[in-house]
Amino acid sequence: MSSAIESGEPTFLDRFPQEAKVVRSALWSSFIALTLGALFGIIQTLHRTDVLRVFSSGNYYTILTAHGVLMVVSFTIFFLVGIYTWAVVRSLDRPVEDIRYTWTWYGLMVLGTLMALVAILGGFIDSIDISADVLFTFYAPLQAHPLFYGGLAIFLIGTWLAGADWFRSWYAWKQENPGERIPLQTFMVLITMLMWYIASIGITIAVVIFLLPWSLGIIDQVNPLLTRTLFWFWGHPVVYFWLMPAYLLWYTVLPKVSGGRLFSDPLARVVFVLFLLLSTPVGIHHQYLDPGIADGFKFIALTNTMFLLLPSLLTAFTVVASMEHGARQRGGTGLLGWLRALPWANPAFTGMALAGLMFAAGGFSGMINAGLNINYLVHNTLWVPGHFHLTVGTAVALTFMAATYWLWPQLTNKPIFSRPIALAQVILWFVGMALMSNAMHVAGLIGIPRRTAEPQYDGFDFIPTFGSIAELDLQLVVGGTLLTLSAILFVSNLVLSISLPKVSGLGQPLPPALSGPDDAPKVLDNLKLWTAIALVLVILAYTLPLASIVDRGGLFGPGGTPYPTMIEFGSTLLEIYTPLTTDWISGWLQ
Amino acid sequence: MSGDAVVTEIDHDEFNPRGTLALILVYFAILVVMWVFMYFVEFLGNDLTVIG
Ligand code: HEM
Ligand SMILES: [Cu+2]
Repeated sequence: MSSAIESGEPTFLDRFPQEAKVVRSALWSSFIALTLGALFGIIQTLHRTDVLRVFSSGNYYTILTAHGVLMVVSFTIFFLVGIYTWAVVRSLDRPVEDIRYTWTWYGLMVLGTLMALVAILGGFIDSIDISADVLFTFYAPLQAHPLFYGGLAIFLIGTWLAGADWFRSWYAWKQENPGERIPLQTFMVLITMLMWYIASIGITIAVVIFLLPWSLGIIDQVNPLLTRTLFWFWGHPVVYFWLMPAYLLWYTVLPKVSGGRLFSDPLARVVFVLFLLLSTPVGIHHQYLDPGIADGFKFIALTNTMFLLLPSLLTAFTVVASMEHGARQRGGTGLLGWLRALPWANPAFTGMALAGLMFAAGGFSGMINAGLNINYLVHNTLWVPGHFHLTVGTAVALTFMAATYWLWPQLTNKPIFSRPIALAQVILWFVGMALMSNAMHVAGLIGIPRRTAEPQYDGFDFIPTFGSIAELDLQLVVGGTLLTLSAILFVSNLVLSISLPKVSGLGQPLPPALSGPDDAPKVLDNLKLWTAIALVLVILAYTLPLASIVDRGGLFGPGGTPYPTMIEFGSTLLEIYTPLTTDWISGWLQ
Repeated sequence: MSGDAVVTEIDHDEFNPRGTLALILVYFAILVVMWVFMYFVEFLGNDLTVIG
């Protein structure tokens, strides 16, 4: 504390040393996942383009599963729990209620990750019978070892307990501050978690009732359309689970880093409420091409999806306006001349700004994906990874990395090892992704498939409208290489910071919004109301489609042979269990 | 940090985000142009991809 008093501005570490440790651990877990994910990313890039094939094509799905799971589950969600713990503790200005509880949920998340990772990496070793080559979507009939589903379940339980931790802090704070508005950052965290709890209903049913028993051999088949639909019930909100921490940083940290203040606190609350309401009843937009779901249901998902553009556009406005405010306070003038007055030499700013720019581009390809008919053109092609490397792979990932440059010193009382390297790193990510994602989009338009080890066929050639396949491959490889380099620079910069001596004066207070919470209608803070409406929308969007899927295919049929079959034991149990449950459920349905 | 180099304090009433509006309009214009372009490339230029 003494060093903090000298400089006048205590850091998060000075104020909350125990919580800072949890946050650092969560971020380290996240960055380890990022490093491994990047490694698998470059391996598959080189493999697909036939530049270098270190593994046999038979291992491609093992690599791709590792890449997908490490990036979009471990990297993003560990970062989320770290940043949310920081945000709640900081904005309520109180320590967590019980630090042992906090470590418990973190420990569960680590345990779950390790279990799933063992199952995935087992796919490389032929002599053992463990594998999970199911990609991050684990569609049946692809089957994983029970360790994979079990690990996923434990990881999810960890995140639920984390949410409970934050609700508990808020509840305790509320007792001491009756009648006060929920601080903005805590509000964002709580809304995110409400969305997460609703979304989790889908994945929990899919894993606990169907996939896990199926991989244990307790039931011998599942209804693939049902588990897929339940997956996307969760899968689309997950997209917002990645984005909402990035939004939290754009709304609360980026204005500060730009030298200004958030334009509007009420608008930020409205945006988060809209995400809670709309992010679940849209999952079917990932299934436009699935047979067995009527077009009418797909059309409802389409409509909800288009509404979902609204909060993103509101965000674009509020966030850019906050940057403009900063630029004008720094002396910027003119209609667009203020752009030059922004702190472009600061890696935290530049990284987040470039991330936002990429998100705008991703918005366009997202609108193509969301269209019911245009989607047919791009479905399952490389266009789709092209799209989400802009959104989760840059808007989210680059924001996380850039924000780390701002936050890390306050968690460690040590500066970042090299700011010039940090600046180069964020620019490198932007350039690398521009190349890689552009190549993926173009390749997708001419029909080159995703999730394919050898997208070259005998007696058939893809015909690009301009350029050549070789040029596209080159772009993909150069882009992927720059990205991998960027990831390595990011992590090494942090590792090198460890050896620096501690200093004081690194604290960075966050200024209040221009238009503060008192301008926001009270009803925005009514969490119960929004949760109830969100649930009603989910029921409206999903009851009929799910009922018709079960009605046509049966709860556990028509199945299809699992590939590969994981475990034989329990098949005796199966004979008793399946008829019992199906009888019970169909009786209950009538 | 370079973020702190504030020259003038501007409060809510003095601040009019004109530049932001300009940027958003530019973005909209790009979206519209790309939509129109897509229509020509994908629907008028090709045969039907999916029938029925
Ligand atoms: C080092 C940087 C990266 C490289 C070189 C890279 C490369 C690739 C490539 C080439 C594919 C397509 C493979 C195929 O469909 O056959 C892919 C898929 C994917 N990437 Fe990345 N990527 C990188 C970073 C990221 C990041 C930061 C994220 C998310 C945070 C991410 C998430 C994904 C996901 C979810 C898939 C789809 C996996 C699947 O189809 O199951 N990637 N990546
Ligand atoms: Cu979606």
